[in-house]
Amino acid sequence: MLSYILRRIVSTLPVMAIVALFVFSLLYIAPGDPAVVIAGDQASPEDVERIRQSLGLDRPFLIQFGGWVWRILHGDLGTSIFTNLPVSTMIGQRLGPTLSLMTVTLLLTIVVAVPLGVVAAWKAGSLIDRVIMGFAVFGFSLPVFVVGYMLAYVFALELEWLPVQGYTPLAQGFWPWLENLILPAVALGCVYIALIARITRATMLEVLQQDYIRTARAKGLGQGGILFVHALKNAAVPIVTVIGIGIALLIGGAVVTESVFAIPGLGRLTIDAILRRDYPVIQGIVLLFSFVYVLVNLMIDVIYTLVDPRIRY
Amino acid sequence: MDRRTVLKGLAGAGGLALTGVSAPAIAQGASARTLRFVPQANLANFDPIWGTQYVVRNAAALVWDTLYGIDSSLQPQRQMVESEQVSDDGTTWTFKLRPGLKFHDGEPVLSKDVVASLTRWAVRDPMGLMIKALQQELTAVDDRTFKWVLKQPFPKMLYALGKNNSPCAFIMPERIAQTDPFKQIGDYVGSGPMKFAKAEWVPGAKAVFEKFADYAPRQEKSSWLAGGKQMLVDRIEWIVMPDAATAAAALQNGEIDWWENPIADLVPVLKKNKNISVDIGDPLGNIGSFRMNFLYPPFNDVRARRAVLMAMSQEDYMRAIVGDDNSLWKPLPGFFTPDTPLYSEAGGEILKGKRDLDAAKKLLAESGYSGQPVTCLVAQDQPITKAQGDVTADLLKKLGMNVDFVATDWGTVGSRRALKTPPGQGGWNMFHTWHAGADCTNPAPYTAIRANGDKAWFGWPTSAGTEKEVTSWFEAKNLDEEKAAIGRLNKAAMDDVVYAPTGFFLSYTAWRKNVSGIAKGPLPFFWGVSKSA
Repeated sequence: MLSYILRRIVSTLPVMAIVALFVFSLLYIAPGDPAVVIAGDQASPEDVERIRQSLGLDRPFLIQFGGWVWRILHGDLGTSIFTNLPVSTMIGQRLGPTLSLMTVTLLLTIVVAVPLGVVAAWKAGSLIDRVIMGFAVFGFSLPVFVVGYMLAYVFALELEWLPVQGYTPLAQGFWPWLENLILPAVALGCVYIALIARITRATMLEVLQQDYIRTARAKGLGQGGILFVHALKNAAVPIVTVIGIGIALLIGGAVVTESVFAIPGLGRLTIDAILRRDYPVIQGIVLLFSFVYVLVNLMIDVIYTLVDPRIRY
Repeated sequence: MDRRTVLKGLAGAGGLALTGVSAPAIAQGASARTLRFVPQANLANFDPIWGTQYVVRNAAALVWDTLYGIDSSLQPQRQMVESEQVSDDGTTWTFKLRPGLKFHDGEPVLSKDVVASLTRWAVRDPMGLMIKALQQELTAVDDRTFKWVLKQPFPKMLYALGKNNSPCAFIMPERIAQTDPFKQIGDYVGSGPMKFAKAEWVPGAKAVFEKFADYAPRQEKSSWLAGGKQMLVDRIEWIVMPDAATAAAALQNGEIDWWENPIADLVPVLKKNKNISVDIGDPLGNIGSFRMNFLYPPFNDVRARRAVLMAMSQEDYMRAIVGDDNSLWKPLPGFFTPDTPLYSEAGGEILKGKRDLDAAKKLLAESGYSGQPVTCLVAQDQPITKAQGDVTADLLKKLGMNVDFVATDWGTVGSRRALKTPPGQGGWNMFHTWHAGADCTNPAPYTAIRANGDKAWFGWPTSAGTEKEVTSWFEAKNLDEEKAAIGRLNKAAMDDVVYAPTGFFLSYTAWRKNVSGIAKGPLPFFWGVSKSA
């Protein structure tokens, strides 16, 4: 297993290199010029050109790309064109809020969605099942920003229980940290709760019809034991897969959520960087996200072996 | 369902629900000495000479002081300067700094700092470049005196040093000001009323300013960038909120104190909340515009440009930008900011009265237009440009033009508009933008009105009459001469259609009622602003 994990990690390097080349090429050919944004409306074409030169944007593609790769290999993600801060510093500033948001969302999703799916499968065809699946359809259909605004209206403006926006680092206390994340996590989690609840239900229904479940029932095992020990464990592989895919999708969802709740995370940084054509920041974030995708896939593969001993690498 | 509709509906509902007195939210509790402000845009960099965005200037006005400051009557007043003298022939300016000025690092402000700062500024500022072109020498005479010797008089010197359009002539320590003007500074030491808390800066999210205890304000009443900049709060937090509904909700919830420019859709909601004040922020407003490319058909022919002006309805443009609120806009048959001393409607008849589509079509046909595509660049990520672009597309179609509508983002428009290649080869025929009214009060900061061909702003208009009157204004010796020059300038620019003004519009600012002292002006002025618990 260890050698498999090592092989997988090593195999991520060419993937990331291809992603890097792809992203760098896309940015190079995309319209837009950060020098124009920096120079402002009053600037002359000569001013813009001088800024381009000072940023090295006038150099040929291969030289720019080569320089970037060289710096990456030396652990340097470069410097933001606009803020003049190291990209690693900017990502570091934004990583905490995004990781926090994703962690709380993921926990919330698992804690809510899996039991809902199990209960829906257990009560398949009943009113409870229909209600749960109805909510799932509802959660799946509503855009994140609609849910976000609704939550903000009810829980922040009407009830005044929670803040509308912002982020407080965990270092300043658990509750200040959590209270800023509850609404965005619920907004972001709705889609994933719906998705995972539906997958859990479908998988559980299939498993509940297996012979060994009938045997367990015949042996007099309680309903809880059947559902959560025997059935859920055997239904776990597809559920884990969907949760893994969900983590990757969360990154995309975080972009909107962070904007709606004014959370200073990587999603907002990405949008800002794209709109300003802040190439080094975009490249740094894309590399990071690529790494996260690869890592999540790896983790899912490892978890497979834990939940299903028949799987071996 | 569209995001803006949801936002409007929910914020509206929130507003109605909150017309009563709100209890403090759990998250509230910031000190009354801290002012939480939502700026118009993200403070992505912090060098007001290198990056000329308005948001950078607005933040910089807290940290760096200027030698002069423009007041609400658009006149430059002494700020860091104690006195100035100009030689009889108008070529030698000698300035003396006020005593006791200090930078945030405790060092005194000396003439050498001013010389270095003005040298850097002059490379990047249009007026600075004009002075630089006339410069014989700029030198420090002693610690508090410096001298600017010119080859010929430059009557608008004090205006140039005190103007509020970017880049302002901010004074920095010599060691910082010696940075290449095309490279960004990383040390934010100024002598203004607030210090920049660099360690707390999260670009794109938050910027913090702390009161500078050693700041020595002038004794006069403050007026825009002039007068005594008395800070009545200890700390100002700029919180960037890209989402308007979130900012509106945060203001209603008491999580922020002042929102620089609420969008028109949400203003009715804010007005209904009795804890919130809403008023026009900048009385100088904005001038909407689209520019036509003088280099290529059809707009290389003045008849085609005039045809567009004859057919366009400024009301259509303004309603698309501000909605039904009539107090937010007015027609603008001219190029200069309404209600300012040099405003003129000379030559503006073409934009007045009933729109004559038939006459416009006839004129367009006379120009030789024969159905070639008109490449119209429209940034969809800027509500103002998007609204204008939609109206223009409709206008051109009514005129019988073949519109190549390029829906893109501002970053792309920003770079594509600089291309002089033909429209079919990456170039363009039209693009939309707007100008801050503060930059259109006279020709000095007004790059968009210049019509000196290749050297002019995008579209590269050529209008000898316009340029002649720009020179006349610079040489004018009194207000009457200035007004006369501007009248002629306005007419020439209108005749040649240097660009198409789409109207004058204002925007609101909103703040919690426990905040007082907010002044109307072209930028948010924090001096004199206080906050009660």
